Amino acid sequence: MSLVNYATREITCKIVYYGPGRSGKTTNLHYIYGQVPEDRKGKMVSLATQTDRTLFFDFLPLDLGSISGFTTKFQLYTVPGQVYYQTTRKLVLQGADGVVFVADSQARQLDENIESFQDLHANLADQGVDARAIPLVIQYNKQDLPKDLILGEPELRDAINFRGVPDFSADALHGPGVFETLRGISELVLKRLSTPGAK
Amino acid sequence: MITRVVEGWVEEPLKRFVDDARVVLALMLHPSGQVMAQHGFARAMDVMSACALAAAIHASASELGRQLDGKPFSGIHQAGKDRQLFLAEAETAQGSYIFVTVFDAESSLGLVRLYFEELRAGLASAAPALEESSEPILAEHFESELNRNLAALFGRA
Repeated sequence: MSLVNYATREITCKIVYYGPGRSGKTTNLHYIYGQVPEDRKGKMVSLATQTDRTLFFDFLPLDLGSISGFTTKFQLYTVPGQVYYQTTRKLVLQGADGVVFVADSQARQLDENIESFQDLHANLADQGVDARAIPLVIQYNKQDLPKDLILGEPELRDAINFRGVPDFSADALHGPGVFETLRGISELVLKRLSTPGAK
Repeated sequence: MITRVVEGWVEEPLKRFVDDARVVLALMLHPSGQVMAQHGFARAMDVMSACALAAAIHASASELGRQLDGKPFSGIHQAGKDRQLFLAEAETAQGSYIFVTVFDAESSLGLVRLYFEELRAGLASAAPALEESSEPILAEHFESELNRNLAALFGRA
């Protein structure tokens, strides 16, 4: 549910970065945080373990500026990817307006990607959300790794993107693809607000 | 201190609570972490972080309550050195909301809990029935504005 404040003409949307452990969800947020000017972002909140694995979530509020006369704010969240944080993932996913699924392009991580994608669909269904209706994009991260270690975009698309949602190759550590992914999900989320009765 | 609300019906009960209970900060939010009203915060971005954390506390405490006690905990109190935090849920015709407040020696847990019950009743009676708008909120072709704003945000403009 995007929150619309007609009095102050503000829209706030919640975007959740989802995916298996170590796929690069937090890295996406760190890159965005590093790029955005101080006056357009809030503090990045990370509830992490001592070894910097996400324990609960990372959170980054962004001010996108004015769109159609509305000040548009995005709240970016990540979920913990490790399988045993299932309950936490459900809690963070609650009320999401859009989801970025961050897949790890390494060939040996394919099963984890598929399992996490199925987990996303199950958690959405648990919350009564139609997984086919919620704005979703997929990012194939770590495409900068040596070619013999990773799967290319066509293979990953075949394995994960059976719904044919917008997808993006990325190297979140250095930036390529991060901006495009955020733009992709932003468009889908805001498109719902430009469609009659779709809020 | 300024009180800001997203929807008008929240303002009166919240202002009354802040005055009566003499609290330092007050936040009302949707369980997803979206802010509905706030009192005492200077920066909008800090409010968002506080809401994200409050929603997380509420969600994890509720789940912990369900797992340990079969039902969610109804409220949480945490005492710090100088300030204390109280968090609880309020039901309205618009749905459930989380309410968080921070208070110091000017108030007390008893006072906060007493006036929170009044706030809960005030919100329940002030909330209008839920109504879905069918009108589009953004213009049909918003993409160029979005792209320009994002490019500026990432220093690509």
